[in-house]
Amino acid sequence: MYELTGVGKAYATGSKKVVAVAGVNLTVSDGEWLAIRGRTGHGKSTLLNLLGGLDRPTSGQLLLDGRDLGRMRDAELTRLRATTIGFVFQTFNLVPTLSAAENVEAALIPLRTGRAARRRKVAAALDSVGLTDRARHLPSELSGGQQQRVAIARALVKEPKVLLADEPTGNLDEETRDEIIGLMEKLWREYQLTLILVSHDGAVVRRAQRVGIMSRGSISFKA
Amino acid sequence: MFFFTYLARELRRRLRQAVFIALGLAVGVGLVLTVTAASAGVKNAQAGVLKGLYGVGTDVTVTGQAPSDSQAKPGSGSGSRVSIALGPNGAQMCVNGKCRPLKNGYTIDTLASSSYAPMNEKAATEIAALHGVAAAAGGLLLTDNRTTISQNPSPPTSFSVDGTDISQQKLGPLSDAVTKTGRSFKPADANRNVAVVDANYATSNGLKTGGTITIGGTKFTIIGTVAQPEGSNPPNVYIPLARAQSLAVQGPAGGSLKNDVNTIYVTAASAADIPAVQREIAKLLPNATITTPSSLASEVTGSVSSAAKLADDLGKWLSVLVLIAAFAVAVLLTMAAVSRRIREFGTLKALGWRGRRIIAQVMGESFVLGVLGAGIGVGLGFAGAAIINSIAPSLSATLSQPTGEHIVTPSGALNPTASHTVSVPLVATVSGAAILAAVLLAVAGGLLAGMFASWRIGRLRPADALSKVG
Repeated sequence: MYELTGVGKAYATGSKKVVAVAGVNLTVSDGEWLAIRGRTGHGKSTLLNLLGGLDRPTSGQLLLDGRDLGRMRDAELTRLRATTIGFVFQTFNLVPTLSAAENVEAALIPLRTGRAARRRKVAAALDSVGLTDRARHLPSELSGGQQQRVAIARALVKEPKVLLADEPTGNLDEETRDEIIGLMEKLWREYQLTLILVSHDGAVVRRAQRVGIMSRGSISFKA
Repeated sequence: MFFFTYLARELRRRLRQAVFIALGLAVGVGLVLTVTAASAGVKNAQAGVLKGLYGVGTDVTVTGQAPSDSQAKPGSGSGSRVSIALGPNGAQMCVNGKCRPLKNGYTIDTLASSSYAPMNEKAATEIAALHGVAAAAGGLLLTDNRTTISQNPSPPTSFSVDGTDISQQKLGPLSDAVTKTGRSFKPADANRNVAVVDANYATSNGLKTGGTITIGGTKFTIIGTVAQPEGSNPPNVYIPLARAQSLAVQGPAGGSLKNDVNTIYVTAASAADIPAVQREIAKLLPNATITTPSSLASEVTGSVSSAAKLADDLGKWLSVLVLIAAFAVAVLLTMAAVSRRIREFGTLKALGWRGRRIIAQVMGESFVLGVLGAGIGVGLGFAGAAIINSIAPSLSATLSQPTGEHIVTPSGALNPTASHTVSVPLVATVSGAAILAAVLLAVAGGLLAGMFASWRIGRLRPADALSKVG
């Protein structure tokens, strides 16, 4: 469970201070699907980075299962990302030189999973996203939707508790978008994930249990 | 396994860049190897010239002080003194104080030490007992001068004679000689009138094994001919030291050289001992001239000397510059590659990869490029050495040496020197040590490039990396 109390993130750009996230108070329950929408530059991705331990808040307290992410050492945050949090990015972020299976396998490297177990888990993850027959293909040989499926398999292969998705359908056409969101919804239920999804697409966020609106670094919820 | 798969795929993806980095390192390494090989070849050529001058195994040569022009006044110089006097019994020719009637066909044949002052042969024993000396042997470098009185005068002739300590033939001019015909000296020859003749001198003067040669007015049986290495300036004839001491004379009065030597050949226990041995000998024989390979090398002139300078100065700096350039190219290209992969590394960090693991991946790629560069570089080094060997002209080495003659002029005495020029082939060789050093250099270059990249990766924050467009 996430508990955010007055979480803020400010950047110094030269002599100016830019506040990306301003005093966010938020609780996300285990197994909840929260969608965050808002206009570009209003702090959605920054908040997601804070939730994923990719960045640290400059103010407030950000707890994940009672552990303060802002006070954890880098090595602890790295370990947390390796075991507990899965990421899906708008641009897929697959390693171009590795095949679909190897990209998925990359998520298991920090866990020091044995080779045989890795292969088994990778095959299962690719199967769950319907890409068993594309395991040996390089990202450049896959369509956008297929690449995003590989990214989802990579995020889920380690069986994380939390899945953070930053505009996961932003680079896809409508048909593929629906396909991917449908897949994510299925996996959310199947894996009982806490899913936090950032998108500016109304069709996507409507599928979530709860929708937060980010505006000028603050989040608000419709009643 | 994943490590190697990722590494190989990444290198294959940026193949052109990887080849460029490896080739850059290879060119640097290849040039270093080529210059090192050329430098070694020049040094070997120099060593060959020096070895030929004093023989194999001689580290230090001690000679009695040569009489200088200022020391030798007219009529008082060392060497053979010839005078013609008119007496009641007609004309007489006096050589070193011994006078004989001047008749047609009379031959004056003297064996004299005129280039170096004599030293007691015990000096060789004393030097042999010094710390750091492995062996020492004395010798007499002499000149046989011959003039025939005739109504049809012909110019005087001379040839060089070496009085050889036949109990220590591994030292001195005969040490590097190869017997061509007959045999060399045996211990039983110590007091016999036997001679070994330089093969070239024998050919040009019609001398053969089994024949005779007159030295200092005494007939010697030729027991063999020997060939010396190319580039050396050997004596014409070798005779046992005891016979040379008994026949040769020194100074205007024709002083005896019994128990004397004028050259002592010394072998040091190790190359590191040579300076200390040189100092000890200088204390023991303060008036003697002490020559070491390094002091002799400084007297060598000609293209071998110029080539040595070129290899040492220009070659060394050129190699350093190319290496720096190769390292800089490797660092810049690796940094550029890392910049393009920032987002990839950010993704890996988001997946929970530790910075160390990512750095190891990049360092692994750099290491492989370094090894590739080393491999190609060694090949280029061998090719460079082969090119040098095929196109490099023979080097010439010139060394001024005493002729052994002593000329008395109205203004003083002269010990003329002759410029001895030899042609030595330049053989560039790539040594194992040079290959090892080159491989280490290339790998170091690769790792250096990886280290710069690693420094950047180490400072990378995942959120910043992921926000990079690329």
